[in-house]
Amino acid sequence: MKKLDRQTLLGIRDQLGSYAWEDAEIDELVDPKLGIITGFQELLEQLEDLRKIDLGSIPPAGDIPIK
Amino acid sequence: MNQDLAFAPISELSRRLRNGDISAPQLVDLFAERIDRYGETSKAFISLDLQRARARADAVNPDEELALNGIPYSCKDLFDVAGLATTGGSKVLEDNIAVSDADAVQAMNRAGAIYLGKNNLHEFAYGATGENTLYGTTPNPYDHSRLAGGSSSGSAAAVGFGLCAAALGTDTGGSVRAPAALCGLVGFKPTFGRVSTAGVIPYSWTLDHVGTLTRTAGDAATVFNALLPGQREIAEVNLEDQIIGIPQGFFFERCDGEILDGIDALMNFLRDAGASLKPVTMPSMETTRTVSLTVQMPEALSFHNRYLEQRGHLYSQEFRAGLALGQCLLAEQYIRAKRFIETYRRDLDQVFSEVDVILTPATPVIAPQIGAVEVSVDGVSEPAGNAITRYTSFFNMTGHPAITLPCGMHSEGLPFAAQLVGKHYGDEQLLDLTTQIESGFDFELPLPDLD
Repeated sequence: MKKLDRQTLLGIRDQLGSYAWEDAEIDELVDPKLGIITGFQELLEQLEDLRKIDLGSIPPAGDIPIK
Repeated sequence: MNQDLAFAPISELSRRLRNGDISAPQLVDLFAERIDRYGETSKAFISLDLQRARARADAVNPDEELALNGIPYSCKDLFDVAGLATTGGSKVLEDNIAVSDADAVQAMNRAGAIYLGKNNLHEFAYGATGENTLYGTTPNPYDHSRLAGGSSSGSAAAVGFGLCAAALGTDTGGSVRAPAALCGLVGFKPTFGRVSTAGVIPYSWTLDHVGTLTRTAGDAATVFNALLPGQREIAEVNLEDQIIGIPQGFFFERCDGEILDGIDALMNFLRDAGASLKPVTMPSMETTRTVSLTVQMPEALSFHNRYLEQRGHLYSQEFRAGLALGQCLLAEQYIRAKRFIETYRRDLDQVFSEVDVILTPATPVIAPQIGAVEVSVDGVSEPAGNAITRYTSFFNMTGHPAITLPCGMHSEGLPFAAQLVGKHYGDEQLLDLTTQIESGFDFELPLPDLD
């Protein structure tokens, strides 16, 4: 998996984002310095690992049925 | 008035109210005086409604058969109370006046409980340490240099400092159970969806549960009954009929040794009482925090989007960063995470085909120091908030009912707790069992020395 790139996130913010996040907030995701968000890159890598697991036809979780 | 009454369980307060040993206005005054005395130290309350509380107390008929007749309570400042601000612990909503009561507040009031005020919290429930730059960080009643834990920090402190008899909180990853465990209280999260979240500011629709913080498991059962239509008595449980699952691995790893000793003592009690303890294999926990976060943050962003444009600058830097993360996750990742949650539910249901309840420690650590960014157990460091909720967050995803019960005092003078998890919709059975354990297990929590 390619390492997270600042330009990618700026592109998401500018073209797809629902809010004009500040550059500092985007920078924090790419290169955490403030200790607020830790391991976004790691999170994405774990999501990539999860993507490779075949879930068959299991649906998203919804209400819990009464049995 | 005897200050110990402020630490009496609801069952005791109800008995005294019925007998006329104390009146509802006297009880409200007792707590109001204590709020005056400890409110600033505890930082438990964001707002108070004592005038209406006194008026309601004046109107209490002690002979009326209501589950919580005359019992003072508070709720996390995510719950709507008509005519009062629901701030979410944030500057963003400081003028957000509710037009009606949240369903849970309505139910409490219908049961005769008397609302005292709104409790402090981690801003919008985003975080487990209970740190809040606007309203202050809530300390632990047993050691004021330590955290109460969060995000229902003020609810835990309100009960823990003896400022009310019970409190409502919300639990998205352990935000009721963890602070309860750290403060020597009982924290109960019912089955997902069992208690209405209507009128409660959401954090994550998939994971949010309304929960209770009380002094005893019996009190948790009483408040839970009040939150649901229809009443029932606590039933006796024969421990000899119980099969208690003990998870292998994750839930007993990187855990404080004294907490493990306390859980061992509890297991010995259960064994001696005739319960069967059975090792169980839980679903893999390796990526559960990733799954939880991938669901939480886009959902939080989706809700807070309504305020961001106008009031985005009023959010804390911490919460804005979390919302920005939610912006950068893909829809497919969110859906996949929700599908993993479904697999966790099914896998845990499978475990429950073999056992009645599952027993784990509630937290791997005692209350961390205020300001501690990380805590270390067995030489491994992790963010304090992650550690506090390490054993609780999985059950928000699976939606199973879970309760934390104090079971020991650490040599550092802080309480710790066990967690019991029940089957879906087995809330009543879980509460009955926990009440039974509480009455039989040889542990008495000392009162905190607040002065």
